[in-house]
Amino acid sequence: MPEVKLVNVTKRYGKIVANDGVTLTLKDGEYVSVIGPSGCGKSTLIKNIAGIITPDEGEIYFDGRRVNELPIENRGIGYVFQNIALFPHMSVWGNVTYGPRVRGLSPEEMRPLAIEMLEMIKVNERSDAYPNELSSGTQQKTAVARALTSRAELLLLDEPLGALDVKVRAALRSELKRLVKDLKLTALHVTHDQEEALSISDRVVVMKMGRIVEEGAPIDLYTHPKNLFTANFVGEANFLAGEVVKASGKNVLVELEEGPEIRAEASDQRMGDRVVTAFRPEFVNVETNGVNRLKGRVVDVLYSGSTVRIRVKLGKGSIVVAKQMLHSEAATIHVGDDITLSIPPQRILVYPYPEGGLEKELALE
Amino acid sequence: MIQRMTRSINPSRLVVWATLIGLIVLVLLPTFYLISYVFLKWGDVWVEVFENPIIGDENWRQILKVLFFSFRLSLSAVAFDLLFGVPLAYVLARKQFPGKGLLEDLITLPLVIPTSGFGFATLITWTSVAGIGGFLGMNTGVIPLDAVVPIINVPLIVFIVHVALTFPYIVRTLQTKIQSIDTTYETASRTLGANPLTTFRNVLLPLVLPGIFSGAVLAFARSLGETGATLIVAGVSSTASIAIVRWTAEFKLATAAFMGSLLVIIAWALILPVERYMGREKRSFKTSYRLPFSLIKRVMRLERYASEKLTRIKDFAPIFVLVLTVIVPIIVVANSVISYWSADPYTGKVQGGVVYQLFGPANYFNTLVKASLTSIIVALVSTYVSTCIAIPLSFIIARRWYGGFIRSILKVPLIVPTSSLGLSVLLLWGSNGLNLVGSGIWLIILTHIAFSVPVIVESILASYEGSDIQMYEDSARTLGATAYNAIETVSLPLIKGGVLTGFILSFAHSLGETGATYIVMGRDITVPALVVNMVEALAIPAALFTSTYLIVLSMILLTIIRFTTRR
Amino acid sequence: MTKRFGEITALDGVNLSIEDGEYVCVLGPTGAGKTTFLRIVAGLLEPDEGEIYIDGKCVNNLPPEARDTVYMFQQYALFPHMTVWQNVSYGPEIKDWNREKVEQLTAEILEMVRLAERRDAYPHELSGGMQQRVALGRGIASGARILLLDEPLGALDARLRVGLRTQLRQLVKDQGLTAIHVTHDQEEALMIADRVVVLRNGRIEQTGTPHEVYSRPNSIFVASFVGGANFVEGTIIGSSDAGSVMEVLGGLQIKVAVSDVGAGEKAVLAFRREDTWVGEEEVAGSNNLPGVIVSATFIGDSMEYEIRLENGVSIVSKILMSDAFKAYTEGQRVVASFPPEKGHVFPYPVMGLLKEVEAI
Repeated sequence: MPEVKLVNVTKRYGKIVANDGVTLTLKDGEYVSVIGPSGCGKSTLIKNIAGIITPDEGEIYFDGRRVNELPIENRGIGYVFQNIALFPHMSVWGNVTYGPRVRGLSPEEMRPLAIEMLEMIKVNERSDAYPNELSSGTQQKTAVARALTSRAELLLLDEPLGALDVKVRAALRSELKRLVKDLKLTALHVTHDQEEALSISDRVVVMKMGRIVEEGAPIDLYTHPKNLFTANFVGEANFLAGEVVKASGKNVLVELEEGPEIRAEASDQRMGDRVVTAFRPEFVNVETNGVNRLKGRVVDVLYSGSTVRIRVKLGKGSIVVAKQMLHSEAATIHVGDDITLSIPPQRILVYPYPEGGLEKELALE
Repeated sequence: MIQRMTRSINPSRLVVWATLIGLIVLVLLPTFYLISYVFLKWGDVWVEVFENPIIGDENWRQILKVLFFSFRLSLSAVAFDLLFGVPLAYVLARKQFPGKGLLEDLITLPLVIPTSGFGFATLITWTSVAGIGGFLGMNTGVIPLDAVVPIINVPLIVFIVHVALTFPYIVRTLQTKIQSIDTTYETASRTLGANPLTTFRNVLLPLVLPGIFSGAVLAFARSLGETGATLIVAGVSSTASIAIVRWTAEFKLATAAFMGSLLVIIAWALILPVERYMGREKRSFKTSYRLPFSLIKRVMRLERYASEKLTRIKDFAPIFVLVLTVIVPIIVVANSVISYWSADPYTGKVQGGVVYQLFGPANYFNTLVKASLTSIIVALVSTYVSTCIAIPLSFIIARRWYGGFIRSILKVPLIVPTSSLGLSVLLLWGSNGLNLVGSGIWLIILTHIAFSVPVIVESILASYEGSDIQMYEDSARTLGATAYNAIETVSLPLIKGGVLTGFILSFAHSLGETGATYIVMGRDITVPALVVNMVEALAIPAALFTSTYLIVLSMILLTIIRFTTRR
Repeated sequence: MTKRFGEITALDGVNLSIEDGEYVCVLGPTGAGKTTFLRIVAGLLEPDEGEIYIDGKCVNNLPPEARDTVYMFQQYALFPHMTVWQNVSYGPEIKDWNREKVEQLTAEILEMVRLAERRDAYPHELSGGMQQRVALGRGIASGARILLLDEPLGALDARLRVGLRTQLRQLVKDQGLTAIHVTHDQEEALMIADRVVVLRNGRIEQTGTPHEVYSRPNSIFVASFVGGANFVEGTIIGSSDAGSVMEVLGGLQIKVAVSDVGAGEKAVLAFRREDTWVGEEEVAGSNNLPGVIVSATFIGDSMEYEIRLENGVSIVSKILMSDAFKAYTEGQRVVASFPPEKGHVFPYPVMGLLKEVEAI
């Protein structure tokens, strides 16, 4: 269970800087997720750690030992690939024992290791099957087992659930987490699915254009993101631009471009600052007597199982989405209704207005 | 299952029939006629080969002798190719380095180079004082003409030529195969603790084994059928292909036909099992680990050591072989033309100069111009006709249920020794058979079509399989395109690169072909055949010039290929 | 406009009719036959049996180009040798419309999918999201009234996907098109569709509005596949008009919705994770199941609690973390409760419960 430390790691591909001075520490036994949109450099980061590529600048340490020049096979890592990559010409058993075998263990030595791993992931009954005979979920479980039979203590997961059905993904998520914690591994998990990252890891790292923008515990990152990009990427959110008209202590009053003034809690904004307020749909209440009232007309009511998303168009055309449990009073709302929304001040985040414009900052590609 | 149900665009019945008839008459009939000829004239064959009133079964003993010689030569050349070709293919498929494009072109060169010219260049380089010998200050060539490769008892110079000419088949086939294997498998193996060599043995090798097999078969067949260069360097020894040419020239047609059909059958027996094997076994090889553990452990220790210490040797040895067998002869021959330009540099005689031989009393220049014209007409017409057959044929192969069958039969003309092919065409169309076409330019064209169609088809299919044409076509159709619209606006543009490459490759092939041409050309001599004649007439400077001319021509074609395949 | 499927054995006797202007999602796990279904409608595959009608006309023998359908591939299948403009104008061009009309339409559509500036770019120069929009624009430009979408959002990043759901639906509705959208993502289907068709092993398991399919699943499979559910084995001990009562492990009696399962028969109770409330006190009128929180997993907008009940059965509760949300910690004693009408009872499956609900 090593501690992994990256200092100022930079990797360029021609003009593109895939990793731009990334500094990151994975603590012993920690499960860390890296998220970000396509092309943010998260795959490059994990490949740097594995040794699949060598950084142009910066250092990588495993337990304090510099490993920049150490070839992949000597790094003692387990790596799980998005496209699974089980060796097609070997059975499950052949795949799972591959690591110990090429490391020179005798058949007697590797047998118990492989059996233990296969039992752990519950595919021991299918050890004679070939990969193409298994469902993709089982294949990926086998790939995880293969990565761990040589007793690797650092598990690197490169979009491990990306190729799977949504339903399978959710089921594997919890198995993966259990496995990592039971075996006391250090794990780095790269994904573009924020829900996966939030639910599986101890810490989430958000990347954008080769740099780390923010990191933190899942719940902090979701409820109190420090910047606009994270607020948008880590979950759905409503964004409304405005100007600070009053600031006293932690309380600010923002006059929205939409008209109404809303109260929020923020510390570092001053009067006259142009700002963007952000709030998650589930914190938007449909009620007439709360604070921070916004009036509008319902343009769409979208059900997704137990929750309902109510899309409301405000006076000047901005859309605000409210997400409510289906059995709340929201169930009675219809398209075309005029309604009033309210947002508790402590749920509103305030950010400086981005220089490149709001739309550009919120674009996900 | 889905494949069967797919409602794909099928060429109309008329096109299918026209194409299939073209295929049978122009490509398959000549290839297989030889065998039926032997059956039809079995009486003549029996008498001439086994019970000749004068020499008894001397011809049969000759056949056995040249066959064994050919097999020794071809097998050992392929073995040598594999030794150096596999690492080279790996390097080309997996690594990026400056000059890679150039190296790839060099490897392709023997595929397009006219072999008689190349054979002559090799001969000069190694056995003559004008070659490396002179360069090193010796009075003779580096290799004596009678030097023999031990064990297999084959002249060294013949061996070198065969290695150089068959090398690209292994490298190219294998390189494509390796590139089609996802690198993730290798990375996965490395992360599991295997060094690069162990990874290669355990993961890549089993997955590309079919590619190695098919490359080896192609190389073997090429070596077995090689005529142009061998005619020039073989000296007194004779391979099966050369024997056919000589016997035809001596009108020992029955013996030649018997030998030719033996070669066809052998080629067929080689290709079909591999084809079957590759078609059936999708999962490629299953590796078994029945070897004793101690042995595996020793192998792995060796691999670990080699991975660390021998990387450079592994990467550079093949390139060294390539340079020695391909590049050096080309440079030498070009250099010789310059030094022999006005006079023989050793004796000072003007008669020994290139200029004298070309424009002097022998007037080889006129012959060369005429031969060039013949060559170009043959190449253009045969390639054009072949392309017209190959395009619809590729669609039939890709779309129809019997496509796989046609594709594997098409491999046969590709690997049948060209001299057998030439003989077959001569016997079928010529004066001894249907008597429709006499020896000469039209018979050459007919012969060349037979081996050009498969070359172009393979090239088109490669680009067809590389892009997801079915999906694009489906997409076009749901957007409102009719079947023919879809082919015209989507499929054809997508396979354009493949068609062009196939066209040029087959053009080059046709331009350089010697073995078959020599048999069917009559008085319409082509340039490669001219080189052979020049060498036999000992007009060395003229042969030097013509060889260089051919090599330059093929390099120009290669440059064109390069531009059509890479944008 | 109606499409009707007769008996199709490749699928397995799929019968479905779709109204003009309807947005239908076909939902099912990998291998359920979703893509086969879509390709048959497009005419890219031939059904072994059965008929397909568009506007009351049997189209079985019509080639794909004559069907008024356009198929959008998951990989988009943008023609690599054509620019964005050429791709979008491909449909109208091939149908020989006049030049002016083609240009006007193409320009309009590019504007609509917000790609007017990239009209001369080649597909490989665009991001995944842009490629998806070109494919969509190309489909709409072809003039077909029926859009067949094969996992249209599948190749995109998760976060992008969520945002594009509403945009996709909006576009289809604005253009007045009929859409059949195939996906394995139940949340996507529930959010986008007017009607959801759940497919399993080539058979239609259930058809209905998203709300119907979600709140009244007619099989264990649907309950499990569409939204998560808790499953508890037990025996029905009595039924009345007001509802049935089921006894589960540990002698616990649970009030459930009216069911067809007779008294004394083995049954499976299913109730939604989202319908399961967690509190410190019992809720009047609900089934109240005391237990201990085993784990709490934060998944963004919601929290998932795994609760071990006193009889040893584990259930999961998923609660939206709205303003009223109250957090509980691992090891804390709580009461899990759900209203009787949210408990659905199914006969015990022949192949066993696990076979019906396992995802992998």
